[in-house]
Amino acid sequence: MDCEKVRDRFSSLWEKELTPSEEKIVREHFSSCPECQKEFERFEKTMGWLRSVGEVEVPEGFLPELYKKMEERKRAPLGEKTRGRWFGFPLSLKLPVQAVAMVAIVFLVLYFTKMMPMEVTRLKDAQPPSFPLSEEKKSEQVWSQKEMEKERRVLETPPETPRSKDVDLAKAPVPREEKFEGAYVPPVKAEAKKVETPSSRTEIMAYQQIESKEAAGAKAPPPGPGKIEKGLTAKEKSVVASKPPQEIILRVSDREKMIFKLQELVKQFGGEMVTTEENMFLASLPTDSLSEFKKELVELSTPTQADKVIAKKQVTGKLKAAPGVKKEEVDEKSKEPAKLAADQESRTVVRILLIQE
Amino acid sequence: MKTSPKVQKEVIENCKAGDEKAFAEIVFHYQKKVFNIAYRMLGNLEEAKDLAQEVFISVFESIKGLKEEAKFDAWLTQIALNHCRNRWKYLKRRQYFNSDSLDDPVETEDGNMPRAIVDPSDNPETLYEKKMIQQFIQRGLLKLKEDQRELLVLRDLQGFSYEEMAVLLALPKGTIKSKLHRARVDLKGILERAAH
Repeated sequence: MDCEKVRDRFSSLWEKELTPSEEKIVREHFSSCPECQKEFERFEKTMGWLRSVGEVEVPEGFLPELYKKMEERKRAPLGEKTRGRWFGFPLSLKLPVQAVAMVAIVFLVLYFTKMMPMEVTRLKDAQPPSFPLSEEKKSEQVWSQKEMEKERRVLETPPETPRSKDVDLAKAPVPREEKFEGAYVPPVKAEAKKVETPSSRTEIMAYQQIESKEAAGAKAPPPGPGKIEKGLTAKEKSVVASKPPQEIILRVSDREKMIFKLQELVKQFGGEMVTTEENMFLASLPTDSLSEFKKELVELSTPTQADKVIAKKQVTGKLKAAPGVKKEEVDEKSKEPAKLAADQESRTVVRILLIQE
Repeated sequence: MKTSPKVQKEVIENCKAGDEKAFAEIVFHYQKKVFNIAYRMLGNLEEAKDLAQEVFISVFESIKGLKEEAKFDAWLTQIALNHCRNRWKYLKRRQYFNSDSLDDPVETEDGNMPRAIVDPSDNPETLYEKKMIQQFIQRGLLKLKEDQRELLVLRDLQGFSYEEMAVLLALPKGTIKSKLHRARVDLKGILERAAH
């Protein structure tokens, strides 16, 4: 038996738990190994000291102090008791409770940090449909008001005056359209809260009218003076036709001759016959030459009989389409038809009625 | 166990019923054992007294849950060991034992006394020397690992059998024996190092 195995048996040897044969082997080893012999002697000494350690007497007043402590515990507030009880619970009960609490905390934290912003955006998206609609309406109203003002400003601006930015925008419908759809909207929303809208419905209609007009303008930008000869495209025709024409009634004696002369005159003024019916003609003419055309037309007709040229009405498409638009604007537009025409379109449709005598 | 004799079954039953006299009898019978375990485990008389009182409070509060009165001794010792473990951790966290050294003065029942490493074999009959040895051993015990100290206290100081220890510590006898031997050898090493 080697030293290590012998030393592992010191406790058993000291407690006399080894079998006689084992004890004999160990004792034989001691006789041959003085190191192990010395080591066992030191072990015996340590064990002797250890076993010699006597018991300590319990301090006096142990029991009365114990009773005192128990009394104090009884009087202790309920909170302290429960707190103490929690620490006394077995780990098998405490761990699941703590785990559940942790999970709950984690979920709460996630909810407050991650979910809440999503909820908010979702709520924003799911706002009642009436609200954004009214917002939109408001913005549209404000926009239409602004547009009206712009137009008024454009109308009031003399041709010589250098154009302001607004006028430029009014002149160029396509970029303005872009602006309205894009960068223009957000400030309007902001303004919508500030501006009070008086009534609305008519103005919204007006806005829609303006928009459609602009859309039309965007589709068919006004042709320059040099392009008039090229004639009207189908689109232009439809646009022109959609607008109420000026009406001229002529009293003639020779119908055929008058028709021929009329066509000549229209051509002379750079216009075009749009439709030719039995006694009614629609002619598209440059607005600039309209007054001269009228004069010539009067001269063509029979001096005695056809001196009566009736311009029944001169209503712009806009005015007719939007009857609710303020009167002031109508007045202004009627005062300056040329300017308006120059701004909006350069051709006018004239309806000529022939009355044979 | 070589310490206090077992209390009668009726006393335990009366204590379960809330009889304070029965409880006092139990305390009287087991206080020395519990206090000594606590003192050897913690090395401080005041802490040992407080801990022993806590053990008896726990006994009084939970004795109703004890199903087998015959196992009262083991149950009580288990409570005492659990309290010792908890208190040891508590004191260790507060670095209560950090300044401890075998050269420090030792607290005894008669107050602090200077430590002197004397071979008790020179004059083993002297009471002074006996006390010195006791304190020397106590300091050595405190230098051991907690579970090793537990084994030495139970077996060599309190005289528990290996069977009882196996039940208390929930370990096989063989394991307890080998662990105990390792603890004894370690204590020997600690004391030798301190002596030289």
